[in-house]
Amino acid sequence: MRMKKVLVLLGVAASLMACESLNYVPPVTPQMAGATTGRPTDVATLRKGRTLLVHRCIECHTLPLLWHYKTEDWPEIVNSMAHRASLKPAEQDAVVAYILAVRSQK
Amino acid sequence: MLILFLTLPATVAIAGVRHFGYVYEAVTTAPGSLDIENWVTWSHTSNPQRVDGVDFRHEFEFGITENFQASLYVADWFYSADPQHSGFTYSDSALELIYNLTNPVIDPIGLAMYEEIRAGDRVFELESKLIAQKNIGPLILAYNVTLEAAWEGTGLQDREGELQQALGASYEISQRLSVGFEMLDEFVFPEWRDTERIRNFFVGPNVCFRHRNWFVTVTALAQATNTPDEADFQLRTIFGIGF
Repeated sequence: MRMKKVLVLLGVAASLMACESLNYVPPVTPQMAGATTGRPTDVATLRKGRTLLVHRCIECHTLPLLWHYKTEDWPEIVNSMAHRASLKPAEQDAVVAYILAVRSQK
Repeated sequence: MLILFLTLPATVAIAGVRHFGYVYEAVTTAPGSLDIENWVTWSHTSNPQRVDGVDFRHEFEFGITENFQASLYVADWFYSADPQHSGFTYSDSALELIYNLTNPVIDPIGLAMYEEIRAGDRVFELESKLIAQKNIGPLILAYNVTLEAAWEGTGLQDREGELQQALGASYEISQRLSVGFEMLDEFVFPEWRDTERIRNFFVGPNVCFRHRNWFVTVTALAQATNTPDEADFQLRTIFGIGF
């Protein structure tokens, strides 16, 4: 009986870990920095943007799928919530850069 | 308190939204941010006699670093309406510290450590909590395990321990609205003994609405056990606002 409970818990844990497709915030790669067009950026900025995205944005809401909104809408979306998330201008730019870099990979 | 308001930096922003009324989340608030939250909890007890009470908490929540936040509960007070005595009473003030260890989005499980020190009129309490959270798309799952030690009464001679588990789920229906449920499982140890075998279990729904720089979260819990002197029903509202 105890083993059955452990197996159920392990199954739930494995399911949660397998849900990364619903939390699509992939780690930064050098290819991402190279793929951004029009907005030159670097790996360090993208890493900072990813860290801020998963810390600050989820204080108020869950993360939407990054392709749910148009590329040109993202700067304004982030800007509209930057004050609430205590994002400074450079941090705001880093978050937008990361989102656009991820989108450019799709 | 006036000095505190006047010395706040003009750039201060709203801190996080609470999606749950009773369950804590592992996410800490942004450094430099401030949130003021007012808690109101109405409870109704009928066993062994009918008692209605309303608890009030006023919390100032500060983001210290990216992973560390502190809260000051300036005054916890309550109104009680029972056959023997009715009226308002100051209870205590408290300091709460939360340190975030891992992130609920990019790590397998988001974890945080919680410590609360509460002191007041004939009460001293220590509360330690491990907070676990996982965000799966629009769903937030959170679990807390809490160990509480309280000293109460004249000379603080009455001791009580409590072990509590809390589980909550909150689903984001829209950008502004989330709904879910919460459950509490309590093991109470008067004088740190389990001779009375006191077990309480509460379960009920929650709803969270947020807009601009404010949010409101409401959770209603009903007791599924039948423990004397424990609330049959409790309703908690948390209203948070940033400046």
